[in-house]
Amino acid sequence: MNPQNSNDKRYPNQGLLNRPLNWTSKDWETLLQSATIFSALIVLALFGFLVYFTLPLFADGQFSELFSVHWRPFHGEFGLLSMIVGTLVLAISALLIAYPVGLGICLFVHGLGPSWLARPVLLLIHGMTGVPTVVYGFVAVFLLVPLLRDNFSYGSGFSLLAASLTLSVLILPTVVLLINSQLQQVIPTLRVTAVALGISRVQELTRISLPAASYGLLAAAILGFGRAVGDTLIALMIAGNAAQIPESAFDSIRTLTAHIALVVATDSQSTIYHSLFACGLILFLTTASVNLLLHQIKRRACREINDE
Amino acid sequence: MNRLLSSCVYCWSWMTTLGISLVAGLLLFYLLSQGLPTIGRELFFGDAPIWAGIFGQVRIWDALWPACVGTLFLVLLAALMAVPLGIASGIYLACFASKPFKRILSLLVELLAGTPSIVMGLFGFALILFLRNTFLPDANTSLFLAASCLALLILPYLIFTTQAALESLSYEYRLIGPSLGFSQLQTVFHILVPAAGRSILGGVILSVGRAAEDTAVIMLTGVIANAGLPQGLFGKFEALPFRIFYLAAEYQTPAELDSAYGTALVLLSLTGMLYGGAFTLHKTLAWRWNQNG
Amino acid sequence: MRQRLFQKLFFTFFLLACFTVPAVSGELDRFSTLQGEIDIAGGTAHIPVMKDAAKIIMTSYPQINITVAGGGSGVGVQKVGEGLVDIGNAGRPVSEKEREKYSKLRSFPFAIDGVAPVVNPANPISGLTSVQIQDVFSGKINNWKYVGGDDVRIHIYSRDEASGTRSVFWKKCLNRGVIVESANIVASNGAMKVAVSQDRYALGYMSIGHLDNTVKAIKLNGVAPTQDNAINGSYPVVRKLFMNTNGAPKPLVQAFIDYVLSSEGAGNISGHGYIPLR
Repeated sequence: MNPQNSNDKRYPNQGLLNRPLNWTSKDWETLLQSATIFSALIVLALFGFLVYFTLPLFADGQFSELFSVHWRPFHGEFGLLSMIVGTLVLAISALLIAYPVGLGICLFVHGLGPSWLARPVLLLIHGMTGVPTVVYGFVAVFLLVPLLRDNFSYGSGFSLLAASLTLSVLILPTVVLLINSQLQQVIPTLRVTAVALGISRVQELTRISLPAASYGLLAAAILGFGRAVGDTLIALMIAGNAAQIPESAFDSIRTLTAHIALVVATDSQSTIYHSLFACGLILFLTTASVNLLLHQIKRRACREINDE
Repeated sequence: MNRLLSSCVYCWSWMTTLGISLVAGLLLFYLLSQGLPTIGRELFFGDAPIWAGIFGQVRIWDALWPACVGTLFLVLLAALMAVPLGIASGIYLACFASKPFKRILSLLVELLAGTPSIVMGLFGFALILFLRNTFLPDANTSLFLAASCLALLILPYLIFTTQAALESLSYEYRLIGPSLGFSQLQTVFHILVPAAGRSILGGVILSVGRAAEDTAVIMLTGVIANAGLPQGLFGKFEALPFRIFYLAAEYQTPAELDSAYGTALVLLSLTGMLYGGAFTLHKTLAWRWNQNG
Repeated sequence: MRQRLFQKLFFTFFLLACFTVPAVSGELDRFSTLQGEIDIAGGTAHIPVMKDAAKIIMTSYPQINITVAGGGSGVGVQKVGEGLVDIGNAGRPVSEKEREKYSKLRSFPFAIDGVAPVVNPANPISGLTSVQIQDVFSGKINNWKYVGGDDVRIHIYSRDEASGTRSVFWKKCLNRGVIVESANIVASNGAMKVAVSQDRYALGYMSIGHLDNTVKAIKLNGVAPTQDNAINGSYPVVRKLFMNTNGAPKPLVQAFIDYVLSSEGAGNISGHGYIPLR
């Protein structure tokens, strides 16, 4: 019908870009740009929302009360401290378990284990990233919790210990894959030197390769912590959800994430409702600072590499 | 002393690897042994006839099919919203953005990626209450809301994988376009994007897998345990991960517990397949490049 | 000719079918001209009754869709007050404060239910006094041996603040005493049953209607928490179960409420171990 159209048929690849009416290069770039800006602005909208809904607490002068210990909404006490402590303790203990284990696995993959096993092990770790959180939680409820309950006379099994063990399995792939990708970068250049120097494989890894991969080591810890803080399901399903500051590993705890899921408040005027947003804000600020920190470390690492 | 430490490190690396293989093996074995026997017609359709059940002519009770359909719709809808936006953003960040601009935008996207999914759910939930009180008095938690929140959740993954796929193309490849006198836009759409296509597709599948498994977001935005097949964009729905969560806490009969194992196995196979597919796409790409380069 | 006969026969059958199907259960008639959705949320003690009613209605009338969710009584009242659901269930009366906020709420009581203290069937304990229970929940007693059981720590299970079961138990059994903060929190009556059935040393409390042989309801001050004792007033920890609507219910919701309150609905209610209010 229209010459331009038949043109399109002869050069099908140009169809998209050279239609009449026409979107110039500039227009397309603007379109892509606005999509990107939109994506980036979402997080600001999210932050604004959280702050906006937390604000009434400031106005009422209730904000400082959020950092008291007791959560007793019937008595007008909305303390979130137990949940904050619960979140931190759980995330840190999960990291304390996952990190050394992850490090061990990385060393295994990079020379302490037989080389033919390195790929299958990495594949296994990759596979673990595909296991849904809720499945880990589910299996822990029926395997781990009864195990803890029956073998230790203290506590119901729904505990900090059960949750941190399960959570450590969840964040393990994050830790392993990050350290591994760093080691993969540094080892090829260092191994020859190390072999030439005649030092053992263990010494090479612990004294040379790991220090050289310090960026990855740090990033893995931070990112693992961030993932542990953000997880909801494992804490909700197996930590017991008691709003208390734990005194032992067998105590039941409640995290901020589980608190949001547990206290469904739909009355948008109530203090409970606003306190949920305070939880959300605390979580957001925690994970945001984790990411900012990571960003800084990454930049420094890049700069160092460029300097060399 | 040094020797002792060395052997400790050595032992530790073996122990941890062995340990984690055992844990993974145990998890798989447990789910397979408990879940496999339950897989069958009854798990998916209860006592409803299959075909009538599939097409929603008969309401299915206490079975998996509505949750399967719910998850399918949810994931498709979320992908529909997030994929175009994510890929466009990824392309822009990789190929067009100026350096300082790129830094700020990537940082914001990273922050979005770090946001806990329950916070995303809270955001969606509050948004609905906010809309009800302002413009849309009939707004309610629904499939659409849950999918939108999920879309926000997977958006950063899409952006990162697209960006990484494009940036990992070799420098020589990037020069082909300019050397032929292509504009930047032509280079991107005719050379770079097709070349990175498989990787980008891998990223899409990965994010779909991520969307299929997330529970926290949908818990606050419209999933419930007994909804039947989704009744439209603005109705309540069921989903596989939520069903596992729900049954783990309150199965009422041993049969329900069995069906929970079956559900867990089904979800695990689903995400396993998606992650496996994504991984293969990435791998073959890397391999092809190594061959060519 | 033959075709006419066929048509006539068919027509008669059709008419017959039309009239006989609803006639089988008269109480369901009211739904024959209705269609649409009913969203129900709130009290978890109600769920078995609601789910069954929904199942019966939707089997006969597929054009009606009923969804049943939990959340707890507090959530039920709030959600229906905010208009997020059509029926908000509560295992307690609407409180003064809630009444103030949502003045249009209408309550439809449909059953009497008790709240029973429960332990694992393997636990030798068969009864406790309310003082003992108060001491356990306030943390004064933390070992089963002080109340006549094994020498093991008591694992207390409680419910979240939105729970009507909790508020009734707290008022009528714990006498508004403290509930220790180390108590594990579960989100529904169903979850309480699962938790207590899995834990040999658990002590919890739940709706009588949810009891089955996986848990053991214990005597309170020597009185067994049974339907009979709840009816004759000797078991004190009882409450009504309410359905709440925001203002006058729309026809479909009214029909649902009428059905639950009907004789057939009452059969369903008592079948689940609650006492129908008629």
